[in-house]
Amino acid sequence: MAETAFREGHVDADGFRIRFLEAGDGVPLVHLHGAGGLRLTPTHELLARRFRVVAFEMPGFGNSPVNTRTETMPELASTMSRAIDRLGLDTFNLMGTSFGGKTALWLALQQTGRVQALVLEAPAAIRQEGAAAPSGTPQEIARRLYAHPERVSAPLIDPALRAKAQPLVQRLLGPHRDADLESRLQDLSTPTLVLFGTLDGVIAPAMGRLYKDLMPNCHLVFVYDAAHAISTDRPEAFTEVVVDFLERHEAFVISRAETVIHP
Amino acid sequence: MKVSFFETARYQAAKPLPSEWPVPSGVYEPDAGARAYRGMIERLEFVEELGFDWVSVSEHHYSPRILTPSPIVSAAFLAAHLKKIKIALLGPIVPQSNPVRVAEEIAMLDTMAQGRLVVGLLRGTSNESLTYDLNPAESRERTDEGMELILKAWTEPQPFGWQGRHFRYRTVSIWPRPLQQPHPPTYALGTSREACEFAARHHLGCGVSYGSFEGVGRATKYYREECAHHGWQPSPEQIIYRANMLLADTDEEAHETLRKLPGQAPFSMRPRIRDAMMTLDSRNIAGEARSPIVSGALPTTFIGSPDTVVDQVRRCRDVVGAGVIDISLHPPGSNDLEPLMRALELFGKKVLPRIRDI
Repeated sequence: MAETAFREGHVDADGFRIRFLEAGDGVPLVHLHGAGGLRLTPTHELLARRFRVVAFEMPGFGNSPVNTRTETMPELASTMSRAIDRLGLDTFNLMGTSFGGKTALWLALQQTGRVQALVLEAPAAIRQEGAAAPSGTPQEIARRLYAHPERVSAPLIDPALRAKAQPLVQRLLGPHRDADLESRLQDLSTPTLVLFGTLDGVIAPAMGRLYKDLMPNCHLVFVYDAAHAISTDRPEAFTEVVVDFLERHEAFVISRAETVIHP
Repeated sequence: MKVSFFETARYQAAKPLPSEWPVPSGVYEPDAGARAYRGMIERLEFVEELGFDWVSVSEHHYSPRILTPSPIVSAAFLAAHLKKIKIALLGPIVPQSNPVRVAEEIAMLDTMAQGRLVVGLLRGTSNESLTYDLNPAESRERTDEGMELILKAWTEPQPFGWQGRHFRYRTVSIWPRPLQQPHPPTYALGTSREACEFAARHHLGCGVSYGSFEGVGRATKYYREECAHHGWQPSPEQIIYRANMLLADTDEEAHETLRKLPGQAPFSMRPRIRDAMMTLDSRNIAGEARSPIVSGALPTTFIGSPDTVVDQVRRCRDVVGAGVIDISLHPPGSNDLEPLMRALELFGKKVLPRIRDI
């Protein structure tokens, strides 16, 4: 696989200096990471072959200063939409992972005309009661996140950086069922793809159906043999369905697979 | 102990049969086939009357030994003719099926049969890989994924897509769903570590077959350990042991019958195919490698007089932990139906009433 070079950049929004990694051409695909912070996966590279991928590091994550200012998820979403403005993106596809899935939903609610399609990887906006974020040593966290931790090649997220962002995550994540958000989702007609790994041990895959119950234009896909970090566990499977959905929206349900063996 | 009768739709015809698998279908006699299916119903009416709990059917292809390539068709036929007995589909060969279709058909039949279905999902015997051109090296993975998809199709209330390794669907939303909720009693069949782990993880039963009590007991022990690891304990009824039974009035008579039976499986693969299959098709008992069964008659682990067999059933409960025995009463390799009917009657009168409280 040819290495796709991601270039680093920064934009200023709401007084934050926000880092991003970018690669690829074409229709923009903005990615908002999970509670651990931004970490490039093979999926970013695969998606960058088809889209202009912009993966942001949200303020307070990674090496950015501790974020004590952002109080709510809608506020973070609005900061991120200003960051997207700075890149001059008018319309774009939006992908959110876990914690970032909830940010992405708020962003889509705030910017309905601009978000062409929404991809939610194991989103954390609706969680089973008592769902707990992974914690402990990097190895313990890896066992919670990945179905196959032994296959993970890139370095895991530094536990100190993860820990630093936890107060922000706790402040913004909200209750396991967020009545305000859920009532708004009923009017969000943006084409949405929700993905859950069949082995997700952080957020129960059964939460997926609740997005379908609530949202008028939502599709649910289970990725077999993947845990919470689907895009790391099964990058090819994840990318294939996401690309197909972003290109064809609802029509992605129509197969284009060819079964001719010999002409 | 619950008791299941393994029904194979025994085929009997005048023409001699070639001994190699696949058996050329040109020697098949349609009338003999019709007799086999009529005989099945007559036999099973008797089985039901004797008080058996289940009748089981299996999936095997390209030979007259077990004339039921589509277990769902067999099960539907039986469900329509029999009134009380539970019908155990042991079961669809998952790696060569469309799992969504399997989920639909079972849900449909469970509903038609008023919730009388029991389901076993399995990988299938080695030769079956040849039936629909399945790469034996992929059969394990396809089985695990297919079983998971079947369970999901039964239980997921919203339309969903499946992004698997071997199966891909963008729209699954089955109608009807099973009458028994969330799904019929379901077993992962086989002695392998993978089957035991799958069953434990999904709170399914476990079904083992033909090996010695000690041999298959290693698998059921592993299954119970895995269940404990997942925080639950299976009931005795969640362990099925399928076996050959050779029952006679006396021990001597039973052993004499066994001595006269052929030591070879009735229809085996050509040696070079068999050998090539052995290298591609890996099998295990609770993680310990074993050879795939590709030739040789299956062992008979219940053998003797009614007294002896009752003791053996007790040992089976102790060693294997089985709460259901699924028995083939047909002398293995024999083509004769008469000994089967005699054994059935003897079992119903002299064994069945005495093993209920085991």
